[in-house]
Amino acid sequence: MLKQFLQKTLKKIPTVPEESSTEEIDKKQSNLNASLKKNLDLFKEIYQYPLNTDIQFREFLLGNRKALLIFIDTITKTDIVEDHILTPLLASEDTNKKIEDSIPVKSIITKTVVKDILIEISKGYIALFIDGEEKAYLFSAPNFEGRNIEKSENETVVKGPKEAFNELSSTNISMIRKKIKSESLVVESSVISQRSNNDVYILYLSDVVNDKMLSNVRERLKKIEVDTVQTLGLLEQRIEERPKSIFPTILFTERPDRAASYIEDGYIVLLMDNSPASLVLPATFWSFYHSSEDHYLRFPYGNFTRMLRLLALFMTLFISAAYVAIVTYHAEMIPPDLLLAIAATREKVPFPAAVEVLMMELAFELIREAGLRVPSPIGPTIGIVGALILGQAAVQANIVSPIVVIVVALGGLSSFAIGDLSMNFAVRMSRFLLLLAASFFGIYGIAALFTVGIFYLVSIKSFGVPYLSPLTPKYVSSKDTIFRRLLQNEFFRPGYVKPKDIKKQ
Amino acid sequence: MQQSQEKIGIREYIAIITIMIATKVTDDTPILFFDTLDTAGWIAPFFNALIVVIPLIFLMKVVTRYNKGLIEIIDGLFGKYLGFLLLFIIWFISISALIIDTAIYTDIIGTMYFIRTPTIIIYGLIMAVCAYGAKRGFAQIGSAAWVVYPYLQVSLLFVFILTLSDSNLSFIHPIFGPGPIEIVKESTFTLSIYADFLYLFLIVPFIKDIHVFKKGTWAGFIIVIINVGIAFLLFLLLFDYQSLKMVNYPFHEVIRYIDTGFLTNMESFFLPFWAIASFIRFTVYIWINALLFGHLFKIKQFEYVIPSIATLIVFIGILPESPTYAIFELRKTLFQFTTPIFFFLPILIWIVAKLKGDFSNDDNNN
Repeated sequence: MLKQFLQKTLKKIPTVPEESSTEEIDKKQSNLNASLKKNLDLFKEIYQYPLNTDIQFREFLLGNRKALLIFIDTITKTDIVEDHILTPLLASEDTNKKIEDSIPVKSIITKTVVKDILIEISKGYIALFIDGEEKAYLFSAPNFEGRNIEKSENETVVKGPKEAFNELSSTNISMIRKKIKSESLVVESSVISQRSNNDVYILYLSDVVNDKMLSNVRERLKKIEVDTVQTLGLLEQRIEERPKSIFPTILFTERPDRAASYIEDGYIVLLMDNSPASLVLPATFWSFYHSSEDHYLRFPYGNFTRMLRLLALFMTLFISAAYVAIVTYHAEMIPPDLLLAIAATREKVPFPAAVEVLMMELAFELIREAGLRVPSPIGPTIGIVGALILGQAAVQANIVSPIVVIVVALGGLSSFAIGDLSMNFAVRMSRFLLLLAASFFGIYGIAALFTVGIFYLVSIKSFGVPYLSPLTPKYVSSKDTIFRRLLQNEFFRPGYVKPKDIKKQ
Repeated sequence: MQQSQEKIGIREYIAIITIMIATKVTDDTPILFFDTLDTAGWIAPFFNALIVVIPLIFLMKVVTRYNKGLIEIIDGLFGKYLGFLLLFIIWFISISALIIDTAIYTDIIGTMYFIRTPTIIIYGLIMAVCAYGAKRGFAQIGSAAWVVYPYLQVSLLFVFILTLSDSNLSFIHPIFGPGPIEIVKESTFTLSIYADFLYLFLIVPFIKDIHVFKKGTWAGFIIVIINVGIAFLLFLLLFDYQSLKMVNYPFHEVIRYIDTGFLTNMESFFLPFWAIASFIRFTVYIWINALLFGHLFKIKQFEYVIPSIATLIVFIGILPESPTYAIFELRKTLFQFTTPIFFFLPILIWIVAKLKGDFSNDDNNN
């Protein structure tokens, strides 16, 4: 009761003395006027002309009627305006000829509501108004600047396509279409924000994807009510089920080949402008554990990498925790010679093992974070500072023992083998929790926290799909979990995404 | 492809059974057998199993007939008051067993691994983990059990293999220990090592379907017997019966005893596996206990009472002064108390069902 009351009072929007913009909003909701003069004034007012410098109003005579072109010249192809719109219109003698028949532009649409026209202009369309007509013709000529297609930087592979997504969704879609040449690949678009009108593209195979899941995704996209969603990273946080969870539930990949292979399996992929990546959903634990190279490599090599990755995963999670637990609580476990060696190096170190390891772990994380943010010209300094000062000098100063440096370095090195950024974070954070558990309860504490972690993992769901499926609960699938199978034996789509067509041909 | 949201499949079910019951070999259960049966202690689990099949078959018959959980069946067959009483007895046994077992496990950790850590902290940690797990729900417990089960089984197998090299086959003689008649007699008193199978019949509604339940129960039964039997045999072969009677927790002595290559002390290597198994074991128990409690006292969202039950268990469980002996005695009494209930209750249920004519009449369920 009290909680509800508090929530209600807290959620109330504070009244801030500000100018109301309802009048402006009303204007945008209205229909076009038949009089060109009135339309011109309206648009000039909305666009703050002439303060706004890149908006262009071009008036001309179409036969005996006045006409007007509105476009933003920084995002439209101006040669189209000149060659394909103005030239044919000005040259046209026959005033009865329809606009659609006289302008050689690939896509022409008409709109009547001011707001819709504004949205299209912002997307790089050219709007044509003719006196006496209560509609606007919109010609597609967008020209947004962006990068070229470049090599993928965060998910590198040796054997496989190198291209990565870039910030233009049209390029990204084209790269996926290049991989899936099928008529059933659908690229659905929807506007998800109120003010910035960001588009999101939903890609799926219409004859494979589960309709319920698809409508669930659409529903969640529709529920977003914000002014702006700039990138996929922000979108991910808006649509995921557990925003506070340590484990990610949506896969973020910059590789078009990976996205395409997920689409073929019945997953849904989201693309947006401004994001050199795609979101794959639903995602299971395995999608974060796998990399695209596992399947490009031959069967034994692919599984060897998987094995290494599994080893790395466990090393990252447990090595420093296990070291602390063993040295502090279970010293008898170590063979006597090694124990003596450890004891000898720890002799001069004034801190308990837990503090020692924690310090080194923190230092390692700092080097890592600093290395990421540092401007590239001074990048090498980080390596020198990290290796020299933190490693060697700390040992010489008896702050840490050499074996701790080995342990922490091994754990840190292993953490790089987990390619996915989100999973990487999850593992690194869990490592600290395990370290704490180990310093309080030894191996028993590690086991306790691990059990809690397992319970947590199995209770996570991503768009209705259990996180550890198909391991548990079981579904029909190609059993691509810890290890993959021969390609010839992978003939099922994953059953947990409930595809319409479970068997791959 | 229906989504198995709240119901668990056969793999998860078998994993739960095995973790729930086979983990018993790692506490002081073996001593209950070897105390009276000497060298024949390892035969008893097999012999017990033969007897236990009888109540299990009866229960299975009833459950498959009604296609319902035991809770609903008892309610339906015995009416409001008698049904309540019966379920209350089952609940009471379950909570007592839970308290005693968790106290023993706390004692194992306290005496074997963490000698200086206060009991209440060890106990509290066990129950906190279990309460957390149990609150996640049964499907999640099943999934967690299946995720860890293969590794637990492998680690146990590893212990078995390492034990083999140190064991002495001649310790098995005399095979029948105090004599076959004694084995039969003592075995009937210790049936309740398998009494936990009774609890499985309470969770029928949470298993995918009745066939999965049937298949899973028998498969789990066999896996449990094999694990328990082999473990008992190996304990005997390693320690001989005289010294086996002296140790309290043979499994933990075994993992202290064995070594491989340069690693001479391996108990801390096996500790996490054992700890995970015990966590999951008590999670299942506490969940079943809460389920019963919720049914008895009409609490629909019974998952919310789990933390309270867990807290209660901790405070009752730390009461005995010297747990190693006091609880062992308590457990022995409980064992003898539950054995007849476990044996006769299923038969009673079956007879009542038969008398009510439910086995011939298909449209009447109650």
